[in-house]
Amino acid sequence: MSRLAQYRTMIISIISVIVFGLIWELSGRLGWISTVFLPTPSAIFQEGMALLRSGILQADILASTRRVLVGFLISAAVAVPLGLILGTSEVLKAVFDPIISIIRPLPALSWIPLSMLWLGIGESQKYAIVFMGAFAPTLVYIIDATKRVDPLLIKAAQNLGASRWAVLREVVLPGALPNILSGLKVVLAVAWTCIISAEMVGASNGLGFRIWNAKDWGNTPQVLLGMVSISLTVLVMDQIFKQLERKLVPWERG
Amino acid sequence: MILFENISKSFFDGKKQVQAVDDFNLRIRPGEFVCIVGASGCGKSTLLNMVAGFNKPSSGQILLNGEPVTGIDPRCGMIFQSYALFPWKTVLGNVEFGLKMQGIPRQQRQEIAGKYIDMVGLTSFADSYPCELSGGMRQRVTIARALANNPEILLMDEPFAALDAMTRQVLQEELLRIVDESNKTTLFITHSIDEAILLADRIVIMSARPGRVKDDLRINLPRPRHVTDQLATEYLDLKASIWSSVEEEVRQNMLFNA
Ligand SMILES: Nc1ncnc2c1ncn2[C@@H]1O[C@H](COP(=O)(O)OP(=O)(O)O)[C@@H](O)[C@H]1O
Ligand SMILES: [Mg+2]
Repeated sequence: MSRLAQYRTMIISIISVIVFGLIWELSGRLGWISTVFLPTPSAIFQEGMALLRSGILQADILASTRRVLVGFLISAAVAVPLGLILGTSEVLKAVFDPIISIIRPLPALSWIPLSMLWLGIGESQKYAIVFMGAFAPTLVYIIDATKRVDPLLIKAAQNLGASRWAVLREVVLPGALPNILSGLKVVLAVAWTCIISAEMVGASNGLGFRIWNAKDWGNTPQVLLGMVSISLTVLVMDQIFKQLERKLVPWERG
Repeated sequence: MILFENISKSFFDGKKQVQAVDDFNLRIRPGEFVCIVGASGCGKSTLLNMVAGFNKPSSGQILLNGEPVTGIDPRCGMIFQSYALFPWKTVLGNVEFGLKMQGIPRQQRQEIAGKYIDMVGLTSFADSYPCELSGGMRQRVTIARALANNPEILLMDEPFAALDAMTRQVLQEELLRIVDESNKTTLFITHSIDEAILLADRIVIMSARPGRVKDDLRINLPRPRHVTDQLATEYLDLKASIWSSVEEEVRQNMLFNA
């Protein structure tokens, strides 16, 4: 897309947001939609300012983000090396395949009761939920990415004297990296689903808790504020991830 | 030296057995540049892959300087038609790869790699990624990468076939110069008779599948050779006689695959 076309798309998007927000605001103010069901954007904004001033919103965002990141990173730290090994060894893959295929279909949320029985409702249970939700899909993405590395490049490396380990480090890992990163991006979204649900079921802070708590008090603006905050936080993390991707795979930019 | 002793290779593709190479015998002397010419599908790549150790012969054995090939063998530097450069490594990173695998310290290997990058005229592209290079430049990098590893034998599988005619001529000229300098035993596959005459000390013509040696010709044209030599009468006579030998096989191959 050309510069000019890019600007045009951006301007259209901004106008769309403004028009949409105005219509929403007006339909609340003019009584077309009851604000009990759907508070106006300005009411949500005011709620946001109040929560920011008291520091509650920042604390919630931080708590949820930390849980997502810790669980996600632990899962990636285990799943990436394991996936690379399973992706390149038929024997080990055969050993682990039955376990993976049993765990994989389980929705992450189905781990919540068991994790609460094992770990209560503290931080470690939150990390565990994210880990359980992220681990199996990460592993599957990594194995798949590994298998898609061009076999000719592996041959070329071996021809130049690369050992088995060197092939893994120098060819399979970088060759799979673009697909690994796009897999991880999908898993990051899954991790957010996990943590919001887990916080709704048992937590004393975090965005999931805030929404659930607001619902109990009939505070619709706060429920919506919580949802908007989740959306914005995930968007920001996605952007950071994209930057990271550009840093890590500079050769794909050309 | 490369010695093919009664090499046969058959593949089993799902339901039927394909005999790619049948009782192939050839002795390539040290420092010799041998071109293998043959109709497509006659087993040329299969032979080369067996020398590199990517494939095992179904029977017979291949000896490199008297020692049998038992696995993927870094004594052979392979140059692939589709380059097989590591896209995540720069030109320098690609060329120094073999040296890194040998455990040569960074500074020293970059020095050696730099020399070969210079040899193929890509010094100003040392920090570029392969995706930023043209096909001809990529194939130069592949050649530098193979040479930097200092293999005893160079294996080239139709390395210039994917390039346009003019780039191909430039690279042929460069390869002539490089080969004259390094004097490495080279096994070069091509389906271009012109290319074979230009480069080779010896041309081996293969029969249609299953591949065997059909003809084995010594090319006594003086060196150094140049692309422009292809206009000499001596050259054209050679070309005519080689073509008559190959034509038969190509026709047979066409009937066979019809
Ligand atoms: N891995 C394989 N599996 C099955 N058949 C193969 C395989 N590799 C090559 N062949 C067959 O062996 C024959 C020779 O192939 P190849 O050596 O690639 O020919 P060339 O390089 O001379 O064109 C072809 O008929 C091809 O289909
Ligand atoms: Mg071939």
